[in-house]
Amino acid sequence: MKPGFRYAICVLAGLLLGGGAAVRAVRSSSFASGERVGPWRSGGDFGSAEAAAFTRAAIAVHGLLALPAREARYYSTAVDDEGRPLDGRCAYAIAGGNPGGAWFSLTLYGEDGFLVRNGANIFSVGSAAMTPAERERWRLIAAPEPREGRWLPTGGADRFNLTLRVYLPREGLSALPAITRLSCP
Amino acid sequence: MMWGWAGPLAIGLIAGLVGWHAALVAIPRVVMKIATDRVAEAGGINRFAHAPLVTDKARRIVRPSPDLAYSSCPLDLKEGPLLIEVAPVAAPYWSLSIFDRRTDVAFVRNNRDTKGAPIRIAVAGEGQRVPDGIETVRVPGARGIALIRILLEDRARFPVIDVERRRSRCTPLSAGRS
Repeated sequence: MKPGFRYAICVLAGLLLGGGAAVRAVRSSSFASGERVGPWRSGGDFGSAEAAAFTRAAIAVHGLLALPAREARYYSTAVDDEGRPLDGRCAYAIAGGNPGGAWFSLTLYGEDGFLVRNGANIFSVGSAAMTPAERERWRLIAAPEPREGRWLPTGGADRFNLTLRVYLPREGLSALPAITRLSCP
Repeated sequence: MMWGWAGPLAIGLIAGLVGWHAALVAIPRVVMKIATDRVAEAGGINRFAHAPLVTDKARRIVRPSPDLAYSSCPLDLKEGPLLIEVAPVAAPYWSLSIFDRRTDVAFVRNNRDTKGAPIRIAVAGEGQRVPDGIETVRVPGARGIALIRILLEDRARFPVIDVERRRSRCTPLSAGRS
């Protein structure tokens, strides 16, 4: 084989393998791949020009048009406090306080990153609907069937994940919500 | 025989690194292009499309917030700068953010920053002239998205907010190129 062909084959294979590996790594990455706080993971430089190339690509795929940290902080988890995957057939108690911002909301997504279908059309629980006292100490149940108090429907999905948005965050951070599995069928 | 492959394999390794970085640079631009095209399908280019509140049926952009009302204007600056005017709404939080073609935030301002006053800015590419006196945001490339987020205390208030937010405008600025 002529040397030129060898070089051409290796360059082409390198480009394809390198590019393919990058696409695969980005697709299998997470929306939040930053600092770990309990079961939660954050990302600190969404949308900023300083974001590393990999972070920018991961956010474009998993959370396009996310706000920078000055405006909002995002925390996500796909596991409970004991590290078990969140299962939409189970019931979970989620409890916390004010995570350190002007407003916060907790949204439940399916594995595909979209809202989960449920008969009640409830997709999130937010501080805007809470009394000032409740914002400092709140509790909800994530479960497939309606529950008393604040209820976040799981829609019975096999797997789900949670995203906590904190708007106009202050410096530092209070404790993030605890996620305790109550029961499973 | 094997020795003849040493050079090509070394070059192939370098090509792999180049391919890795090229893909990482390309991914945000491709995703942004797809997103702007999808939004443009709903409301056209250089004008705000006021989306309904998201539900499980929304499949345009991943991880939408059900607590926010979104209005988005896909930007195309090829014909010149744009003027964006955001009208205040009776909500605890609203903001305007402008994302460039790489998905970077070129501008963000919220109602606390403005103390509840309207936002009026021009968005222009490099070398495009904007009349004096208009605050200007420069972005690389011709494409991007301007996005208004409005936080709802109660989804039942959406009809009122929906009327108020439609006073916001995204329109071509007639200044043209310098």
